[in-house]
Amino acid sequence: MTTAPPLILLVDDEVPIQRSLAPLLRSRGYDVEVAGTGEAALKSVAARSPDLMILDLGLPDIDGIEVCRQVRRQSLLPIIVLSARGGERDKVDALELGADDYVTKPFGPGELVARIRAALRRAAGAGDGPAGRVRAGDLTIDYDRRRVYRGGDEIRLSPKEFELIALLARNADRVLTHRVILKTIWGPQAVHEPEHLWVLMGQLRKKIEPDPSKPRYLISEPWVGYRLATEPADDGPA
Amino acid sequence: MGPRIAASRTRGRLEWQERREARRSGGHGPDEPAMSPRQDLLSFLAGVAAMAAVVLVYTRWLHVDNALIVGFTFLLVVLLVAAAASLWVAAAVSLLAMLAFNFFFLPPLGTFYLAEPQNWVALFVFLTVSLVAGHLSTAARTRAREAVGRQKELARLFDLSRDVLLTTDSAEAITQLVQMIARRFALDFAAICLPRAGGWDVHPAGALSGGAVDASLAAALGALDPAPTGGHRTAIIEGRLVRLAPLRLAARAVGVLAVAGRPIEAGTLDALAGVVAMAVERAQFLEARKAADLARQSEELKSALLASIAHNLRTPLTTIRVALGNLQTSSIADADRREQIDLIVAEVDRLQRLFQNILEMARIDAGAIAVDRRWVLPAQIVEAARDQVEWVLRGHPLRLDAGPDVLVQVDPRLTASALAHVLENAAQYSPPLSPIDVSLAVEDERLTITVRDRGPGLAEADLPHLFERFYRGVESTRRIAGTGMGLSIARGLLAAEGGRISAANAPGGGALFTLLVAAAWKASGALEPSPGPLVPAGAHGEAP
Repeated sequence: MTTAPPLILLVDDEVPIQRSLAPLLRSRGYDVEVAGTGEAALKSVAARSPDLMILDLGLPDIDGIEVCRQVRRQSLLPIIVLSARGGERDKVDALELGADDYVTKPFGPGELVARIRAALRRAAGAGDGPAGRVRAGDLTIDYDRRRVYRGGDEIRLSPKEFELIALLARNADRVLTHRVILKTIWGPQAVHEPEHLWVLMGQLRKKIEPDPSKPRYLISEPWVGYRLATEPADDGPA
Repeated sequence: MGPRIAASRTRGRLEWQERREARRSGGHGPDEPAMSPRQDLLSFLAGVAAMAAVVLVYTRWLHVDNALIVGFTFLLVVLLVAAAASLWVAAAVSLLAMLAFNFFFLPPLGTFYLAEPQNWVALFVFLTVSLVAGHLSTAARTRAREAVGRQKELARLFDLSRDVLLTTDSAEAITQLVQMIARRFALDFAAICLPRAGGWDVHPAGALSGGAVDASLAAALGALDPAPTGGHRTAIIEGRLVRLAPLRLAARAVGVLAVAGRPIEAGTLDALAGVVAMAVERAQFLEARKAADLARQSEELKSALLASIAHNLRTPLTTIRVALGNLQTSSIADADRREQIDLIVAEVDRLQRLFQNILEMARIDAGAIAVDRRWVLPAQIVEAARDQVEWVLRGHPLRLDAGPDVLVQVDPRLTASALAHVLENAAQYSPPLSPIDVSLAVEDERLTITVRDRGPGLAEADLPHLFERFYRGVESTRRIAGTGMGLSIARGLLAAEGGRISAANAPGGGALFTLLVAAAWKASGALEPSPGPLVPAGAHGEAP
């Protein structure tokens, strides 16, 4: 990271959204570039190489999913999808095409800012040498030793449980879709048997979460996937 | 006369009755196998004349006395008569020919007495040959006529099947079908009778159909098995023979076909009943499909409504929430604060308009729009409409051509609301700062309001659907922040007061919407100036 504030590309054709989100982001110390169409968004990505893109899926010219696909082809920049459709299908598609996270309209400012922060942090950390371990709150996941600690205590996990938490930790703060998780851990034939995942996630939560009924680390994104939260959820207007 | 029903076993009586029917209905059409008495008489006279001529020519001039030649000549005459007349005429001519043969040519001449026994044999052979030949000839002719008749029936059946397939309107299908049968088969009476709970639905057609016959038919059917599966039956109704054929699909009976006025061959009647049964099934299928279509459309409309509302709620709610968050930040500059407040107000307006749309739509659907006609200046309607969509008209100067200075009697609220939707649509589809022209005209007892924008105009493909609910243009290159309800509401509101709306492309570009409302009018001097805002022509060159 240089000293210049991160540049966020806001892609939404609704003028009221542009006019409310741009001041919000500026007030949090980000530079903001606004694009009203998919075409303009692709141009801005090429010309200004923003640090993060907020992308509305319902664009007038190119479908947001398609914009996602094209950006991913040339850049690893974090993408946060805004979906007004409420359709889980769109979110899953966007995530599997390389979007990092999504926020459903209507959302509060705190929710969006927290997702931006997490995405930028992850992008900054991605290039940092050999990541032998990942920390999330007082949780530490040590890949090399295949160990997980909470505070100073080791938590004993089965091999599958470790695979699951390692996968989520490697993509900390990103939403991984059910499909992707099933495919990675059980293989392609398992994508239609999500019950494996429900059971394993239940076991893992029991061992890791301070209160399994109110997950702090292993956050469920209903109908879409799971996410390992490195910071406690922050939904209040910051 | 009460209806009587006979089973088809009584074939002889039935045929007799049919012949009587045929005679009564003047049944000597081109496809009737029976000969007319007139033609028989003419043939007979012609035969007699021909024999007289033969006798005259052979005895007076040619002096032919060879029995063989004379016999063959007479045989020729008999065959010609048989070819043109019925069998009994041919037989009578044969008998006369035999007598003439005997009297004039077999010795002793001039008497019916025969001298030689072999001449008796010759005479007997002649009579037999001529009778058999005459019979064969009439039979062949009858068969040819029957073939022609059957071919015509087939053609009628074919035409009817085609009519059936071309029928698409399920509501009128049965009525149309029975009319087609009566017309195609030249029947005095035809009826399709479909069983329903506790009786029969009779769909009659033809010259004979009418209260008494239909009622008698219904009574006759009442005596039948509700689901007749047997053969043909007949009923005497109002003195006419009516044939009843069951309508069957596979083994299932779907109704009864009744025909009268012209004998139809049993096979043809069966085929006809088959076609009718299929047509009835088809009509019932169309009916069911229509109901299913309606249900599906209503479902689609509901989900379109939900999608539209969901989309149109989310953006304003997000904006309001984020803008409120921005306002809570202590470091916000005054200019930014004002902008965020304006943003919130605009989005609240948008939500308000959305709810207004939903309410208006619900009222239109419920038919709950009361019309309240009043005398107003047309310009007042424009003023009221402009106020309703003031927030969206910002940046679009409204140029008004107020037309003549008259009062019109319309429902000002409905008209203004409809106009507001059209103005909103115009503003949404026009480039920023482009003017919107509204002109008013009163003529032929109606008020015409035209709205012209400077937008991209209307795509040909959109024109037929423009006023359908939730229809958005096929070429929405720019997604417009609309609900997809506005123009359909405008049409609904106008329709409530007997008005209508149409759209076209304006010469020189842009869309041109025309609102027509039936309205009595009078010069404005005839009444006290009504209270309310008055808009002089051209006074609104600028938006506030």
